[in-house]
Order: sequence, then C-alpha cells, then structure tokens
Amino acid sequence: MKIKQIFQWLLGSNKKKSSSPQNGMQADKSEMMQKVLTMLSNTQDVEMTCDEVFAVLDQFAELAARGEDVSRLMPLVQHHLDMCPDCQEEYKVLQRIVLNAV
Amino acid sequence: MDKRTNEEWIADLRAGGEPQAQALEDLRAIILRGLPYAIAGRIAPNSPESEALVEEIVQETLMRVLDNLDTFEGRSQFTTWAHKIAVRAALTELRRVRWREVPLPEMAMDEEGDASYREIPDNQASPEDQVDRKDMMKRINRIIMEELTEKQRMAMTATMEGFPLEEAAQRLGMNRNALYKLMHDARLRLKKRLEKEGLTPQQVLSVFERVGK
Repeated sequence: MKIKQIFQWLLGSNKKKSSSPQNGMQADKSEMMQKVLTMLSNTQDVEMTCDEVFAVLDQFAELAARGEDVSRLMPLVQHHLDMCPDCQEEYKVLQRIVLNAV
Repeated sequence: MDKRTNEEWIADLRAGGEPQAQALEDLRAIILRGLPYAIAGRIAPNSPESEALVEEIVQETLMRVLDNLDTFEGRSQFTTWAHKIAVRAALTELRRVRWREVPLPEMAMDEEGDASYREIPDNQASPEDQVDRKDMMKRINRIIMEELTEKQRMAMTATMEGFPLEEAAQRLGMNRNALYKLMHDARLRLKKRLEKEGLTPQQVLSVFERVGK
C-alpha cells in the first residue's frame, strides 16, 4: 500500500480528487476501470506502433501546422497518438516547435 | 546559414570537412532556438539543469542525425525531422529522471476482486448500481486474470497509473515499441473475450458511468 500512496502523491496534481478520503480508493479503482474500458473501446485490430509513428511524426506535425485534416489524412497515426501518452507528449512538444517556426 | 533546402542539408552533412562542420553548427543553433522553448513547461528554462540537459540533448541529436541521415525521406523539412529526434531524446531523459526512483505499481486487481473495494460503500450510487458495479468489477478482474500474462497486467497497471511507456518498458526488460505491441495484444484479447461473453466495452463502461448520476 505504501507504493500506491507514493504513486498517488506523485500523481496528485494530475488526478481528480475524490469527494472524501473514505471513498478515495474506490474512486481510484473505478477511474482505473473506466480508463481500461475506454482504452478497450478505442482498440482497433490494426494499430501503428511507436516506431512506425515516430517515423512519420515530423510529416504529421507539419501537415497539422498547415491546418490539414490529419485525422483524415493519417488516421492510424492520429489513433496511435490518442492511445499512446508518450507519443502524444512528443507530438505536442514537436508541434510547439513547428508552430513557432511557421 | 539555416535556410538550406533539404537537399542542401543532406549534401553538406555528408560532405565532411568545413561544409559539414558549418551545417552542424547551424543545426545546433536551430535546435537551441526551438527545444528549450518547447520543453519549458517540463523543466525551468534558463536553470543550470535545463541548460545542461539541452546541451547534452543537442550533442546527442547531432550524432543521431549524422547516423540516421539515410532514413530521412524528405517528407518534412529537414529541421523538423532533426527536432523530432531532439524532442524524443529530451523527453526520454526527462522521464528517466522523474521516474527513476519510482517502482512499477502493484497490480491492484486480484483474482477474488479487491476486498476493500467491496467493503467501502459509495454513497453516490444507488444500492442496485453498487451491486451491478461490484459484479462487473469482479467479472472484469477475472477476465483480466485469465486472459493476460503477468507482464501484460503489470504493463497495463503501470500505464493506467500514468507511468510512461518508455520507463515501464525498461523495467520490464523490453523497449517501448515492444511494450506497445504487448499492450495492444492485451487490449485485443480483453476486447474479444468481452465480446465472447456478450459484452461490449461500452456496455461495461455504462455500468460505471451510471454511478453518481
């Protein structure tokens, strides 16, 4: 339980606070289950991997910066970014650079 | 000169000698302009830590750019491609520093369901909703235990708790790409098993979303 508490402390600023300490754990579990189910709901049979997305992320960022409909042009990349927080974070940082350069 | 065409960047960086040295210097200046601004929300800009990190990342990026010139396909500006390499290197390092002391979280769900979950009443839910949710939770836990390997359960718990894939992968002795594939396989297995049991993720989700409404 100690590990869990450390985790909650580390993630505290990003997580929704529960309505009371008593049902905090319950809210966490319910939230976690909802996250899992949302991920399942969005799971596709074929998905791009992180390496495949990284290979085209520069192209994707430039298209988005030009106002192109990237969800239509590169739907599998968009889907991966929706599912993978690491790649999404990298995309957002790259996007800042590209937009700043435009 | 940082207004080279893609072809000029490639030619200069391959040329060796003075053209290559100048191109590397120009690329270094471009990355130094873009990267600190882009990661400012993640590390205090102009701090000694930030300057040291950026310097290290720029060096690493220039080496990777030279090593991977053949993989540049010209689908973006060369500088965007180089920035992409810098961004991944920077965020990988920031994640490593932030999470290095944090162990992978424990799997919160067990075969029997979680006792504390059943014992704590949720005052926001109706009694019927509480029963539905507990039953569903137990059922999902059982499916997870039956369908997923221990590694898949650990990976799923870690990422649901906000652990970066990169770091979770390292702890599990694999790379990030392999972990994503492992988790994709886990998600597909769970989704198909739910379908086999006559459930869709949306139906299960609705049981949890009813609570508190």
